[in-house]
Amino acid sequence: MNAPGERLLDVNGLQKRYTSSGTLAIENVTLDVRRCEFVSIVGPSGCGKTTLLKTICGLLHPTGGSVVLDGNRVTTPPPEMVLVFQDYARSLFPWLTVAGNIAFPLKKKLAPAQRARAVDDALAAVGLTKFAKHYPWQLSGGMQQRVAIARAVAFQPEILLLDEPFASVDALTRAELEDLTLRLRAELGITMLLVTHDIDEAVYLSDRVFVLSPPPSVVVREFAIPLATPRDQERTRSEARFLELRNEIHHLIGRPRETAAAAGAPAPASAPPAGVRAEPAR
Amino acid sequence: MKARRTFPGVGTVVVLLVAWELIARARQNVYLPPVSTIAATFAHEWFSPQFGEQAIPSLIRMFVGYLIASALGIVVGVLIGASRPLYRLVDPFLQFLRAIPPTAIIPVGILLIGIGDTMKILVIAFGAFWPILVNAADGARAVTSERLDTARIFGLSPLETLVSVTFPSALPGIFAGLRTGLSIAFIMIVVSEMIGSTNGLGYYILQAQRTFAIPEMYGGIVLLAILGYALNTGFLAVEHRVLAWHHGQTARPT
Repeated sequence: MNAPGERLLDVNGLQKRYTSSGTLAIENVTLDVRRCEFVSIVGPSGCGKTTLLKTICGLLHPTGGSVVLDGNRVTTPPPEMVLVFQDYARSLFPWLTVAGNIAFPLKKKLAPAQRARAVDDALAAVGLTKFAKHYPWQLSGGMQQRVAIARAVAFQPEILLLDEPFASVDALTRAELEDLTLRLRAELGITMLLVTHDIDEAVYLSDRVFVLSPPPSVVVREFAIPLATPRDQERTRSEARFLELRNEIHHLIGRPRETAAAAGAPAPASAPPAGVRAEPAR
Repeated sequence: MKARRTFPGVGTVVVLLVAWELIARARQNVYLPPVSTIAATFAHEWFSPQFGEQAIPSLIRMFVGYLIASALGIVVGVLIGASRPLYRLVDPFLQFLRAIPPTAIIPVGILLIGIGDTMKILVIAFGAFWPILVNAADGARAVTSERLDTARIFGLSPLETLVSVTFPSALPGIFAGLRTGLSIAFIMIVVSEMIGSTNGLGYYILQAQRTFAIPEMYGGIVLLAILGYALNTGFLAVEHRVLAWHHGQTARPT
């Protein structure tokens, strides 16, 4: 039932039009995520990536299409799915300690003793055991985002949605957080769906990458990333295949929608999996 | 470190008191008694059962009124701030009511309720209520959308979110309102006791003035100053504890 590789999340023809402004943010997005997979969605700035994630996790209601998680249609945020925001300072609770923040969502779920253990485990997993009693604002940005990630994994979701989680930290910290995320996926078997505008990051982390068009968003193309695992910041990023993929995606993202879709027509060196849902619906 | 900081301030007070003493002695004006006379009167008036007869009733009225204002102001304020449609609906009305100088409500209170303790408590509560309400609402509105979304993602009910996310987010605003409310409550107690009362500090000061007990009048004012200072200091100590996270957070550049 819970075998890796099986479909976990299905996004079918998702459309989101803001009712207040009438703006069409997402025109038609179809993608899928398999269990234990690391999938990234890349797109230019302002292409509605955050809206897409919020709609996928049930915070926003789609105006068309559907999101299906493990066979169940998502209408409100399901407990199996947790979203990590870009802005940790605005999503963590400054009045709670690091441990308090991680324990916060577990209050209803676990008895105090189990809760304390879950908090300790999560802190150990992100390497913040020594900072349990600190307040988030006493920590560096990278450490705060680790708290947010620890809070998310302690909740034991099936899938973690990451909304540009490393965009507000410096490059070194960013590499650290990327590897931490990969390690958490391997250790805890959590499926990851990342949204980012950083192509290198998407290629480095992912098994598959979906490229979004400028708004109203459609999936322009899906890329399989056949790079060796475990990934390594120096080795992986200097592989010829890595550079090829990042250049190809870069090239695709720089173009307007129609030509991008046309340019995407010939398959990349590794043929994408059957049933590429690349063409925008007309 | 702290002593060094407070020392110049204490020095200023001493210089001013000495100046008052010298000027008062030189002028020999009955309406401006020397500090030493006021101090002697103060000691003999207030280190006595009189404190229980005049000061305690004032403080009790003030605290009851302030407590009512705080409880109502915080609950209603957070609720209004948490609901955008509700806020839009009532905000103009609140801004209008809040603009009424609270002392102007005292004649209404006397008319409707009479001059008893209930009237005083209610006008104090009325005065302190508005700043607490408006600041609590503003505080609740300041909760970030990411925190509300986080609460939803982790499956909190709207009530749980209100109590454990919106309310703590509103605390800095709530405390700003409570501080303003406290000083207004303090003003309201004195004024309401001056207008209709048979005891309390406001009554005492006005009586002293009317009976030409000038050092007593000043002594009453000094007592008010001491009480006000003590209340504010106590309040700040509580705020410092409760909002340690907020001060720590805002002290850092982000």
